[in-house]
Amino acid sequence: MSQQFSRRDFLKLAGVGAATTAILTGCGPASRYVKREPYMQMPEYNYNGQSTYYATTCRECAAGCGLIVRTMQGRALKTEGNANNPLNLGKTCARGQATLQGLYNPNRVQGPIKHGRGERLYDTFSNPYNDDIKNAPSNMSWDEATQAVADALKNNKPDEIAFLMGMAPDHLFDLVTDLANATGINAPVRFGALPMFEARATLTKAAGNLFGEARLPFFDVGGAQVVLSFGANFLETWISPVSYTRGFAGLREAQSKQRGKFIQLEARMSSTAAKADEWIPLRPGTEALVALAIGRLASELKGGPMPRAFASVDPLDAASRSGVKLATLQYIAGFFAGANGALAIPGGSALGQSNGLTVAEAVLALNAVADNFGKPGGVYFSPFAPNQTTYQSPASAKEMQDFIQKMADGKFKVLFVHGVNPVFELPASLGFKEALKGVGQVISFAIFPDETATESDYVFPDHHGLESWWYQRVATGSNQPVLSGAQPVVSPYYDTRATVDVLIAAAQLAGGAFATALPFKDEVEFLQSKIAPLMAETDGLFSAPEINTFMAYFQQYGGWWKASDGRGVPGTADVLSRNLDAAEAEFAGEGEFFLFPFVSPALAEAGANKPWLQELPDSTTTVMWNSWVETARELGLEDDDVVKIVSDAGELEVPVYRYPAIRPDTIAIPFGQGHTAYGRYAEKRGANPADLLIPHFNEAGDLAFAGVKVKIEKTGRKQPLSRLESIMGVYGVGLGEEQ
Amino acid sequence: MIKRLLDWLKQPLGLIAVGIGFLALFSIAAYGLYLTQQPPAQPIQFPHKTHVAFGIQCLYCHPGASKGPAAGIPAPAKCWGCHQQIAKTQTSVLLAPLKDAVLSGTPIQWVPVAQVPDFVQFNHRAHIAAGKNCEDCHGDMTQVTIAQNPQVFNMGWCLNCHIQNAGEDQAKLVKLTDCGTCHY
Repeated sequence: MSQQFSRRDFLKLAGVGAATTAILTGCGPASRYVKREPYMQMPEYNYNGQSTYYATTCRECAAGCGLIVRTMQGRALKTEGNANNPLNLGKTCARGQATLQGLYNPNRVQGPIKHGRGERLYDTFSNPYNDDIKNAPSNMSWDEATQAVADALKNNKPDEIAFLMGMAPDHLFDLVTDLANATGINAPVRFGALPMFEARATLTKAAGNLFGEARLPFFDVGGAQVVLSFGANFLETWISPVSYTRGFAGLREAQSKQRGKFIQLEARMSSTAAKADEWIPLRPGTEALVALAIGRLASELKGGPMPRAFASVDPLDAASRSGVKLATLQYIAGFFAGANGALAIPGGSALGQSNGLTVAEAVLALNAVADNFGKPGGVYFSPFAPNQTTYQSPASAKEMQDFIQKMADGKFKVLFVHGVNPVFELPASLGFKEALKGVGQVISFAIFPDETATESDYVFPDHHGLESWWYQRVATGSNQPVLSGAQPVVSPYYDTRATVDVLIAAAQLAGGAFATALPFKDEVEFLQSKIAPLMAETDGLFSAPEINTFMAYFQQYGGWWKASDGRGVPGTADVLSRNLDAAEAEFAGEGEFFLFPFVSPALAEAGANKPWLQELPDSTTTVMWNSWVETARELGLEDDDVVKIVSDAGELEVPVYRYPAIRPDTIAIPFGQGHTAYGRYAEKRGANPADLLIPHFNEAGDLAFAGVKVKIEKTGRKQPLSRLESIMGVYGVGLGEEQ
Repeated sequence: MIKRLLDWLKQPLGLIAVGIGFLALFSIAAYGLYLTQQPPAQPIQFPHKTHVAFGIQCLYCHPGASKGPAAGIPAPAKCWGCHQQIAKTQTSVLLAPLKDAVLSGTPIQWVPVAQVPDFVQFNHRAHIAAGKNCEDCHGDMTQVTIAQNPQVFNMGWCLNCHIQNAGEDQAKLVKLTDCGTCHY
């Protein structure tokens, strides 16, 4: 400060100025009055200033958990679990909570769009954190869009029309199935990255081989005393994580019974393994061997003749090949044989091997040793959902390869895609993106501008799950047969339209067999036609003499379920008498490291565009907003070193996280990041390990995603990973690109 | 610098300047105070007295008062239920905003005049249930056009009524004057 104007003078003048400003503005009416907008049409069940709650269903994965959504003045504010729904009993996972960020995502496709393949659906952003939203504008009306769908249906032969759909919603799948049955178009194919990484086809095929019925088994974790899990990450994303997490709580509960013990066998400590009493890092590819060895040792402890299934395995040999000490195998077998209620679960990476089917059969056979089929704490068949009589299996990666081949061969003139993002989710080496060139017309019903929508000719956006009517059959996780019902909790924010409505309207326009196949006024009428048969059931949560009352209850409770236990008991006659081959898995590719891709527990396959999930620290590494590769400390790499991972199928660069709980011969990369589209929060973050995967399948047709060997090359660069304990990397900090 | 400024202010010219400055400041403050006592500008000069004179009950348009915390502002659809049958609605300049709102689907932005601060958990329902009438707090609506506050909703005013209402009943007095009754 100068001599003439002291610091004290400055403070005095500033104080007087601030006080004057405060007084004058405080007196003005603008500071006191606010504006309020009433509803244009007040719903009669709403009260001003009070929340309205709606029961609906979560569409973040296909499990079908019930939700209660709190809304206020027409805005969805909070999602919680529906306590009535027998599947999740009032709980949700983080992804269910974050579903709101899908609803309000600034990059949603906001109306029907015709565009060139590969053209972006939103602007490349200069700053992902500002509010400057530049989405591709809608350039056609819904009438034109419906006409385009009608033309696609009418102007092509039935066998040239294909539907590729996600695991949810089921009502749309049923509609397209009905359409296919009536008109001869190709039956819809369903695919999802989660079933691929769960190797679900392998699990059901093994159940078919052993029990005579290819159904999805249900493992009663909550009732067991000892649980052995071979790679099943059931506390993260595996099949029905909320339900299995509840089962796990039951396993650990120690007031009414003895606290259950849990042992996880896999090469890398997953979040599920981190919750286990013991984590056994076996060598990838030796899961079948280890399961059979444990089966043999447990059978020996139990006495009696040695089952043929375990006869061929030598526990000592198994120990040396798997890297698990014989004493450890004996210790596990002792626990397993001695427990009153032992359970073995096959899943995930253990089945994603070239011999995955044998692994699944060997692990399921362990349950025969424990004699737990159809008993509390044992293995059941999941109940069929109320309007279902057979298990609907999603397409395995092999079936997807066949589908892609047909696309490339020009067998499909038009491809409709809904609820799935195959360009991102399928391994790039399967060539889905290239095969799209062989398809004359690609029509996407995507909600978000994902990679597949970008590669489409048209995007006719469906409503978000919270804006939609639909239902989802609960495939597993509940004792009761459950049909989770969904209703719109808010009016659609954008000029989107329900895909079912679009297809019904287009079928009417197309005429002929299409019009007679879908004789419905709208989506609700179709949905009612599907749930109407439930009114005749006597064993249900509720009943009603006519459909409108039944529908009102259906909305109120968030679905319909039977009161009785619908689980099936697996047939056990043949389980232990089969010869099971204890050979190790074969690995594809060259390189010294086993690649262990795992689904990010927070993001799963479609959570990357939700900042809440991006900011959720990974539960074992605390990394946020990025991909990483987990390597053992012994490799001489440092944290944040960027390394190039090379497989026979491709390569990617990703920073290192030195993980203390991984085998030195294994590296692990989470799946979920590495988007090249999908909105501002998802794009340009991390890498997609699906780019490294080689078309290499097991006997059930599942991808041997954990059966790939890779090389690591140092790049000499560093990229700080953002973690809970350090914001390096978040918002560009430390990368020289601070926003 | 401050010293030189003070010296100048003691000169006649300075004194005049101080006087003018003071007057200006005072006028602005007085005008500001005056504005706080004026009802805010509303999108429609809504004549409460006309509607009450037709015999329409308060709760017909503000049904939330008997059901929950907020009395609520009626949706244009409710206004339109009657007004679409009144020929004058089509021609009246005063009603044009209502007609525009209904036809364009754009909500009317009202400015509520009866407000309490956010730290007060006011609930209409309890007051209606206790037998209070709307006019006890909001004044006689048969006399006003746009709603005006007959009194300032401050804590002393609330407490006066709470104490009177409790009468001799000590238990009731404790409940009605407990901080947590309104601030929680």
